[in-house]
Formats: sequence, C-alpha cells, structure tokens
Amino acid sequence: MNGIFKWINDRFPFREMAREHLTEYYAPKNFNIWYIFGSLALVVLAIQIVSGIFLLIHYQPNDKSAFDSIQTIMYDVNWGWLLRYAHTTGASMFFIVIYLHMLRGLMYGSFKAPRELLWMIGFAIYLVLMAEAYLGYVLPYGDMSYWGAKVITSIIEAIPFVGDWLTSLVRGGFGIGTETLNRFMAYHVVLVPLILIALVVAHVLALHQVGSNNPDGIEIKAHRGPDGRPLDGIPFHPYYTVKDVFGMGVFLVLFCAVMFYAPTFNSLFIEHANYTPANPLKTPPDITPAWYLSPFYAMLRSVPDKLGGIVVLAVAVVLPFFLPWLDRNPVKSIRYRPVYFAMVVVLGIAVIILGWIGMEPATPALLLPGRICLGLYLLFFLSLPVVSRIEPTRNVPERVTS
Amino acid sequence: MDQDDIDDQKRKFLTAATTIVGAAGVGLAAVPFVRSLEPDASIAAASSATVDISHIAPGQQKVVKWQDKPVFIVNRTPEMLASLDQVTPKLLDPDNKHPQQPPYCNNVHRSRKPQWFVMVGVCTHLCCSPAFKPDKGSVKPGWLGGYHCPCHGSFYDLSGRVFKDVPAPLNMAVPEYDFVDNDSKIKITSLFPKTKLC
Amino acid sequence: MRIAALVVLSFSALLYAAAGTAAEDDGVKLLKPHFEFNSETLLRGAKLFASRCLGCHNLKYLRYNRVADDLGMTKDEVEWMLMTPRGAEYNKGMISNLDTDDAANWFGTAPPDLTLEARYRGRDWIYTYLKSFYLDPDQPLGWNNHLFPKVAMPNILAPLSGARDAQGNILEKGSMTPQQYDQAVADLTAWLQYASDPSILQRKKLGPWVIGFLVIFSLLAYLLKRAYWRDIH
Repeated sequence: MNGIFKWINDRFPFREMAREHLTEYYAPKNFNIWYIFGSLALVVLAIQIVSGIFLLIHYQPNDKSAFDSIQTIMYDVNWGWLLRYAHTTGASMFFIVIYLHMLRGLMYGSFKAPRELLWMIGFAIYLVLMAEAYLGYVLPYGDMSYWGAKVITSIIEAIPFVGDWLTSLVRGGFGIGTETLNRFMAYHVVLVPLILIALVVAHVLALHQVGSNNPDGIEIKAHRGPDGRPLDGIPFHPYYTVKDVFGMGVFLVLFCAVMFYAPTFNSLFIEHANYTPANPLKTPPDITPAWYLSPFYAMLRSVPDKLGGIVVLAVAVVLPFFLPWLDRNPVKSIRYRPVYFAMVVVLGIAVIILGWIGMEPATPALLLPGRICLGLYLLFFLSLPVVSRIEPTRNVPERVTS
Repeated sequence: MDQDDIDDQKRKFLTAATTIVGAAGVGLAAVPFVRSLEPDASIAAASSATVDISHIAPGQQKVVKWQDKPVFIVNRTPEMLASLDQVTPKLLDPDNKHPQQPPYCNNVHRSRKPQWFVMVGVCTHLCCSPAFKPDKGSVKPGWLGGYHCPCHGSFYDLSGRVFKDVPAPLNMAVPEYDFVDNDSKIKITSLFPKTKLC
Repeated sequence: MRIAALVVLSFSALLYAAAGTAAEDDGVKLLKPHFEFNSETLLRGAKLFASRCLGCHNLKYLRYNRVADDLGMTKDEVEWMLMTPRGAEYNKGMISNLDTDDAANWFGTAPPDLTLEARYRGRDWIYTYLKSFYLDPDQPLGWNNHLFPKVAMPNILAPLSGARDAQGNILEKGSMTPQQYDQAVADLTAWLQYASDPSILQRKKLGPWVIGFLVIFSLLAYLLKRAYWRDIH
C-alpha cells in the first residue's frame, strides 16, 4: 500500500498539497462561529451541483414543457421532490451563508491589506452567484420566473445606443421563450458554475497565500516560534477539519429542517406566485424578486429615473469592491473600533430594511425610508475614507484573545 | 497508559465512529438520487398499448410495438387450438412450470380466451423475433403450426411453448393484458414479474 | 458580537413576517381551517372533490395510483370512489371530462387546473373562498364571492352550505349544518393542500429520522472536535 502511495506521490503533488494547505497551513486558533461560513459555502456549492445535475436529467428547456417538467419532477420522479427542495433550499442557504460570511469580513476587517485581492475575488463570487440564482430562477418558467426575467432583462434596454441589441442577445427573441430558456440553461448549468468554481479555487489559494484573519484582526505571522510557526496558529488539519465537520453537521440539521418541514419557507424560498405557469399577457399584481436580491431591487425603485436607477444600482454594487482602499484605518476588527462598529450596525440595519422594502408592493409611503436607507448604505462607503482616518480606536493586543 | 495514550485512543475511536456514521449517511443520502434515475410514473403511465383486434381475421397474426418490443396477437382458429394438445410430447415445458405467463394464462392455450393469443414475440434464446408459421407442414414434415426463430432455429407451438432439443430454454412470455371497450380491444399493460424474455 | 447576532436574527424574523401567507387578501380577512392532516381527512376531501369538483376542474399532475398509495387505498376503492370522469385511467392524472372550449363559452373562462392552487393562492385563501359565496342577482350565474369578486364559478357547494346574501343572512338552508359545512370545506382544503404537494406525507414521516440521524452525527463530530481541541489553549 505504501508503495502505491509513493508511486503516486512521485508523479502528483498530493503530499505537498496536503502539507501546504492542510497539515502545515496555520490558521489562527481563535476562530469563532463567524468563521464557519466559508466551509459551509463549499458544502452548499456541492449540494447545488449534485442536486442540479439530477434535476437537469428531468428538466425540459421549452416554453411549453418547462413548467410541466418541474411538476413531473415533483409528482412522478422517484424522490423528485427531494431533488427540487434540496436545490431551492440550497439556493437560499447559499445566500444566507454568503451574507454572514461577508458580514464577518466587514466586522473583522478581513478585506484589509494584505487581503484586498481575497476580498475582491470574494465579492466577484457574490455577484456571479446572484447571476447564477437569477438564471436558475427563470428555468421553471412560472409566472414569477417569466416576469422577473422580463423586468431584469429590460434594465439592459436602458443602456444607451446598444441597449436594445444587447437585450435581444440576452433574450434570444422578443420575449422570454424557449430560446431564452435554452441559453439560460446553458449559462446556469455550465458557464456560470465553471466561472464560480474557478473563482472559489482562486479565493482559497489567495487566502492561503496570506493566511486567515481572525476576530482580533491581528496578524498571527507577526509572532513566530523558534520553528518558524506562528505562535497563535494551529494546523488547519486536524483542528479545523474536525471543527468544520461538526459545523457541517449542525448546518445540515438546519438545512434538512427547512427542506422537510418548511421548503417554501412561507413563500420566501419558493414564491407562491411561481406556482402558476408563465402568462406573458398578464403581469402579476406584485412582482418581487427573490429575497436575496431584494435590497438591490429596493435601491433601484428608490430612484425615480430609469437610467439613473441603474447607475445608482451599479455604483451600489461596485462600491464594496473598493472597501480595502476606502477604509484607511490600520486597525482591522470592530472589537477595537467602536465608531466603525456603529457604522457597520447602521449599514446592516439599512440593508435589512431595504430588503424588507424590496419585497413590499411599491407604495409612495415606502419611498422616503427606501431613499434614507440607500443614502445610509452609500454613506457607509463614501464616508469611510474620512472617518477611518480620524476615528478613535482601542489598544490592539499583540497576541490573540479568547 | 498515560494521558496521551488515552487521548490518542479516544481520538482514533471517535474518528472511526464519526467516519462510519458519516459514510452511512452518505450511503443513505445516495439512495434517493440513484432511485430518481429509475423510470418515473409518467413513463409507467405511457407504458401500456391498446390494440384494436376487430380487424384481425381468423388464423391471422398482428404485430404491435409495446415498450419497444414486438407483441404478437393471433386470432386462433379451432384447428389451431386443436393442435395444442397434439404437440405436447414434443414440448420442453408443456405444463407451464416456468412462470412465463400471468396466472390467468396458466393453461394450454396460455391466454384469457382460447381464441385470442397475446404473446411477447421475443425468442427466449438470444432475443430475435420468431417468424409466425401457422400452416401445417410448412416448416418441416409433421409441423402442426407455430413459430420458428430464424436466428438459431428454435421452434415454438401456437401457444408459444418451446420444443425440446432447441437452443431456446423457455416458453415465450405472455404479458399482462385486459380486454377493454366491449372486448373490441386488447390493452397490454406490463410483464408478469417473474417472466424472463431472453 | 451579540448585537451582530441580534441584527441577523431580526433580519430573518422581518423577512419571514413580510413573506407569503398574508392574513388578509385585498382587505378580506382570511379564515383558518381546522383539520387533522391524516388519511381520513384526505379521503373525505378526495371524495368530495371527485363528486363536486372533478366535473369541471382537473388535478392533472396528481395520478390516481399515487393517491391510492398515499391514502392506503386499493385500486378498486380508487376506481369506484374517485375515478368519476369517463375514460379515467388509474395511472394517469385526474382529468375532468369538461371541454375547455365549451367551458370558456359557458363561464367566460375555463375552470383552472387546481393541482397547485393551494400553493398558488394559499391554503387559507381556498378555505375562505369556499365559505365566501353569496347570492347576487346582478351576476350571470346568480352568485358572487367576497374574496374573488365577480368570479365566473358558480357556488357548486350551495346544496351543502345553503344560500346567504351579501350581509351573511341565511336565505336558504343547505343539507349541512354550518359546523358540518366548515368541516367539509376544511377536508376539501386539506385535500387540495395535499394535491399541491403530495410529498408532505413522506416528508413528515422521514423528517424526524433524517434530522435525528444528523443530530447523532453532529454529536459524534462534536466529541471528536473536543478530543482534538483539548490541546489548544
């Protein structure tokens, strides 16, 4: 047996990779619960790919049979309901996990030097994930699938000069029909997952290059022992592999609780309006996007002008990329930055309120709160260059605490 | 044993336990995915064939496709039925010991009604489709009517029962079927679970 | 830290509250049915559906043989209790004999397929709808509905419920008492809820086992984690 391992290791860097990324990769020993979400994201990615492949076996990308093929999966395919609910639960769980993962990054300053590229790759993953979710949502060709696709693709029309042509490229025709389903399926099943997997690999490699941050925001590589290993670091394997397995177990309990007992999650994970086939002739009374896109939708609706709304949306989406350079304070963690902590709380509340607004019908009463929250969101990023330079910070310890 | 040894043992045990339970979980989780590949209920629903038998003349055979297999439907004459008792000594399994037909077809004429014969026309040797040879003396001297498989020469009688000393080991299979629409049609639904086709 | 957790929790609470099941629809308060979700309830609802609704409405995704399996019925029982339309086949969906063109002519619109209706409208909506019919001489069929104004559907359950006017006064008694009618409509609602997602029976059965298994796994994983993390101070 050992001979076989040696033969393989001489020809493929298994042992080196295991050392570099597992047994001799040192991670801070003070990770708390906020550090479980990265590995959980990998778990959800695996669930989506596996359930997605099996769903693809039964799905029909044709405007006459797509909706029926979903019902065939739910009613006729053995365990089809499990495949479908795994995929819909996984979609929402992906965003819950990612939002908490991003919040961790905000809280502990994981976006700051030398992790700027790590942050940008991560944010790119988030945007690609939104595209993936949007494309997937159109495929069942329910009423919400149709109208969501119609509304979002018509945003492209607003682009000057090339808007109409680009929209026809995206849709493949006048409306959202078979030609749209076919290409969206190609993007959702092949193109975007490949991009996603490449970005995830890049994300992990970028992380391992600089090492992980921690809740105290101090660099463990600053204090090494006589053997060169960080004093506050522990090998990822076995300590964090074992902890992540436990984290995965708890996560799967929650995942299955939703999947078995509340798969539609009160119309949040599978919208009730999508339980009827696409009707191009009649718009449903309230179109709402999925909950995870809702904050951005609310931002779009807060701006009265079509092109203006798109510009503001683009800015809102792109601003977080520049966080590593907007935040000028060398102290990373909210534990030692009370002002920044308050700003993050305000940002969180603003995004949550925007999310709620985005799911309500568009009434004039909601315009002002929406605009205020949009303003607070933008203010967080735009004020950071100034505030971070003057904010008072607490003394940062030399070695990790807790 | 000191504390380190105890810790090590504990770790080994817990690692093994967690791995075993985890592997069991993965195995159990795989079951729905694998089973979802089985033909689903809509395939099963589409799997029956209904055949109009009103145009089949006496002594004639009609061949229909059912689940991608040929099914022979014969309007047997009294002469054909009489031959069934005469060939008994030449047959390998004249009493239907092997369950190659549903229980209601476990008789000499291997059908619900003697006149109407329904059979899956697949030779039990290597799956060719035997030729219908109803005429006396047509295949060889003393031939009373039946089937002859062109691939390797197996013989069957007019109830699809296999002859002795031929390559095929079993009588040809009779599917589950019903008479519908005032007996003007035959509906073929499924294979009796224990039958072997080829 | 706790503040961050609070923010996250309020997020989910807010969203869950804002979502799907409304307590009212266009100002009409939705009533909640009371039923035990078991085979007896579903069978009563199925029989009511087969006798009163299957004449016009399809449940095209729900196959008779599946209903037999889920409700513990034999093929014969399903055949004489539920397969009311002519030409109904045991392994096919529940399809009515009503021609959709005729229906569009007579009612103005074809009666919709109801398989997913309980998910589309919500369970409480269906229950309330069936209890909201009232006599209205201005309508072509003489009936109107508080929850679905000017609905093209006649009050097919009138013989059971009796007739009320817009204010709720009873003009004519039906064959059932109000409690019996509420129970019958609750059964029907339960049946339609099952029809919109038959997996609910399997999910309820399997759920405890799957989650139980995962809890045991997590416990083992926790003990394993603790065994290793003893080293870390």
